[in-house]
Amino acid sequence: MTTPRRTNILGLIQHIATSIKDYWYLFVILLAQNGVPRIILWGGLWLMLFVFLIWPILKWVTLTYAVTPDALIIHSGILVRHHEHIPYARIQTLQRKQWFYLQPFHLEEVQIETASHEEGKPEARLAAVPLTVAQEINRLRQAAPVSDPSTPDVIEDVPVGVPPAHYQISLADLIKFSLTSLIFLPFLLVLLGLYDKLPHSWTNLLVNEASHLAILFLIGSLIIIIGLTWLVAFVGTLLHYYRFTLTRDGDQLHTAKGLLQRNTISAPLDRIQALRFKQNPLRRGLHLQTVQVLLASKAAAKDDDNDLTILPVINERVARDTIHPFVDWLPTQAPNLTELQVSRTWYQIRNAVLIILLPALLIAWLWPTIGWWLFPIWLIIAVAAGRFAARHTGGSRLQHDLLILQTGHLFTLDQTYVPLRNVQSVRLSQSIWMKHTHLAHLTVNVRRGNGNQAIRLRYLPQQNAQAIYDWYRTHS
Amino acid sequence: MTSTTHHLPPRIKLIWGLSALGSCAALVVITALLWLTYRYWDWPLWITIVGLIITLAEPLIEAGLIPYRYRFTRYQISDLAVEMQAGFIFQKRVAIPIARVQNVTLKAGPLLQWQKLTAVSIATASTNHNIEGLELAEAEQLREQIMRLAQEARHDNA
Repeated sequence: MTTPRRTNILGLIQHIATSIKDYWYLFVILLAQNGVPRIILWGGLWLMLFVFLIWPILKWVTLTYAVTPDALIIHSGILVRHHEHIPYARIQTLQRKQWFYLQPFHLEEVQIETASHEEGKPEARLAAVPLTVAQEINRLRQAAPVSDPSTPDVIEDVPVGVPPAHYQISLADLIKFSLTSLIFLPFLLVLLGLYDKLPHSWTNLLVNEASHLAILFLIGSLIIIIGLTWLVAFVGTLLHYYRFTLTRDGDQLHTAKGLLQRNTISAPLDRIQALRFKQNPLRRGLHLQTVQVLLASKAAAKDDDNDLTILPVINERVARDTIHPFVDWLPTQAPNLTELQVSRTWYQIRNAVLIILLPALLIAWLWPTIGWWLFPIWLIIAVAAGRFAARHTGGSRLQHDLLILQTGHLFTLDQTYVPLRNVQSVRLSQSIWMKHTHLAHLTVNVRRGNGNQAIRLRYLPQQNAQAIYDWYRTHS
Repeated sequence: MTSTTHHLPPRIKLIWGLSALGSCAALVVITALLWLTYRYWDWPLWITIVGLIITLAEPLIEAGLIPYRYRFTRYQISDLAVEMQAGFIFQKRVAIPIARVQNVTLKAGPLLQWQKLTAVSIATASTNHNIEGLELAEAEQLREQIMRLAQEARHDNA
């Protein structure tokens, strides 16, 4: 594999799909124009042919790669030629994506992320290559000495000879996970936004024809919209996380998931900055948790917002025991979070209400009929959210070098376990009014992707927050 | 080594004063442009008036807060950590263990250069923290110290 070679011809589909995804709207605009001169139309069609077919073909033809003993080499570019050498030790995460149509041919897409600070796109992307390529890269990567000059502090000795560990999601768990997914909420908001954009004549017509049924109609359509978006989200999540598996071999963690597109991510264990246990309101009721790792690389950049999900859903009682074989610094007993518990709920409730007040007044002013009805609902939500945040803020020191922090933001419970060595800095803040009430805020900064994740615990007892701050200052 | 709390060099107040003047000048230009929009494009007059009020108020507030800002901005370096503190009404303290420091950057704009001062920026793997102005010699010493301690800390870990 040391001589440069092209990716499989099926990779062309990927290139074409990318072109279409990037430029389709230009042609929709072009074709939507009425009375365009014939010449422009033809020009547009030729341009379309070029953009959607010829350019991807050229891209495919000019991209070659070679897996040499010390680096992955990629030549690319149509007009400007790029020659990229990626030493294996520099590879942070390897992502493999296999669309269903590639499976019979034993091909997959390989994406490689390095520490270079270019946001948004992977360092290298091979559209359709044999499965052996990723295996070979992984083998060479394990053999390569791990040395990453850009982030020397996050490197930690991994004990050799740790037993491999394996986990696979059960179908029942997967269904529970998909049922309790809240990702339909943003779609729902978009759809409700569109409803407002419907021509008024339509909605008026409907309402006029059956004015006594108007409320019924409104509620009915709302329920149908919620049901549909929820169903789409359910099926989407099910397909995305289908047969989720997590394995550990040596110092690497691998996750694999997906039905239509099998997505495999490999990340070194020593890149893990923190573990996060998340619980949305639906899953809270069912005592289910999602476990993610915060990585010091952009592993799953598009996928999970930099956080690699290592357990989509698990009963909260067995979560820590299940994770322990994969991440051995995680304690198995339930933590006691009282050290950093908020003593009074009033401040967070007040802040939540203040935040919602202006937008709520604005809505009431712009849509007076419905706005004033909604006003008390906003207030109730804000009070509940503030109360939830205050009741669920907590944290403590575990052992001598582990910090656990819990926050409750928008009814989502978030527990983060951070080894002290991965805390980059800690900030303690207090306003002059908080001096009298002996309260303080604590912000813990942890690396996440190539950026920073600030974990903010608000309105803590000053003495305990100060104790954590001093402990951190003197113990790292 | 003992750790003591330091204030910024007093000349930083001059720099802050000049930068308040600078923002005044920038706001004057913006207000003048707003007046032109009123004169030639018939934009409402109140926009210009609001601009004028901000032009007068902002530099005054900025200048007025200088003694306060100076008095409550402090930094402290020990063998283990760099600490910075700012504000009284909204007091903030941040601790950066030396072992987490990735690099230390000194940078100075024309004003700081003229006063032989420099700003120090301390970067960790994920955050950046700034000391607004230090004596050049002091800053270089600080940099040496942090880099030396950081190296020692790393050797200790290894």
